[in-house]
Amino acid sequence: MKKIIATLVIALCVVGSAMAQDELSYERKQAIDSLALEKVRDLSKYIKIVGSKETPFSEANRVIDRAEELFMSDAEIGVSSLGSNQITYYRVRKYFEHLMRLNYDRVEIEWYNIEYVSDLQRQPDGTYVGVITIFQTFRGYDKEGNLTYKDTTKKDITVYVKRKETQIGGRTIGFWDVLLGDMRVKETTNR
Amino acid sequence: MKSKITTIMMVLLAAFITLGGTTSCKSKKRLAREAAEAEYKSKVEQAVKDLNAILDDETLWTLEEKEARVKTIKDWNLQNAEVDDLLFQVEKKLARERAQKEEEERNKQEAQSANATLERNFASIARSGSVSQANRTINETLGLFESPNVPVLIIINQSAGFNDYDRPTTIEKYLNYLKDQKISPNKVHEIKYNANGKINELELIKK
Repeated sequence: MKKIIATLVIALCVVGSAMAQDELSYERKQAIDSLALEKVRDLSKYIKIVGSKETPFSEANRVIDRAEELFMSDAEIGVSSLGSNQITYYRVRKYFEHLMRLNYDRVEIEWYNIEYVSDLQRQPDGTYVGVITIFQTFRGYDKEGNLTYKDTTKKDITVYVKRKETQIGGRTIGFWDVLLGDMRVKETTNR
Repeated sequence: MKSKITTIMMVLLAAFITLGGTTSCKSKKRLAREAAEAEYKSKVEQAVKDLNAILDDETLWTLEEKEARVKTIKDWNLQNAEVDDLLFQVEKKLARERAQKEEEERNKQEAQSANATLERNFASIARSGSVSQANRTINETLGLFESPNVPVLIIINQSAGFNDYDRPTTIEKYLNYLKDQKISPNKVHEIKYNANGKINELELIKK
């Protein structure tokens, strides 16, 4: 019995020590929090560029490639409209292609109030997972410059941050890989 | 008789004074010569000691201090074979150190100049009023690099001697990122060059 207890105590100490080593300092945690927020802000710029009718086709395609790199391979983006209760989910490239083809002469897309609704939490596999919420205002204009459609959508984006390693110039570089997961529509209003 | 004795006394006194003066003058010269010899010996010993210390890197003197010391020793003009031999070796060593220092200074200035050029171009791309203007600066900047695929590392945090990086990217993607995001959030941390003077690795750090 004593042997079993002693073994358990040692095992708990080892696990505890390993968990303590995995704990990030406040400063490092802040850095990855900011990095994930920055990726979402980057995405907002990419959506704006692709949505703009002034963006040349080749530039838009290049930007879609960059935007795709921000997401996990199976991620989906939800699209809603005021005229329907249905939310359609598109794969990332399909979403951007849909955005490019929108039937307006001019489109304005603004993201604001980008913040965490659920802080990055460490999962058993070492990945940090959190949820960032954004508000998106969409405005579509006709060729006379009249506003023909406007909505504001609240969306939640799941973010995954994982430590990875790669070889560069003969040395191993440890880096934080931020990947965006599904972008879910939470609410759409005409505000 | 009395007059003769007085004359003899006078002659003896004059001879004594003359001989005494000569002896005193000779003594002074000897002392001066001995002092000069001692000084010369001391200088030779000091010169040998200092020059050996410089040769064996046993001093904390800067290159400029070492050069000043050598100049002082040369100005002593000791005409000593051992000192002359040491001076020859030390001057060769200091010439090498001077050349190395000047090269380091040159490299440092070139690196600072490259840093400034890159950061100026980054800001210019981010501020560009049009895609074509940004693309021109991107192409100009890519000319500094070995290829558009040169890796770019971005340090997001430094703590306890440990760097946290963002996902590595390439210079072409990074320059386009500046164009798309219209901000230049990082500054140059380190540049690595290939043998042709082209950048083959770039490390940036959050401003």
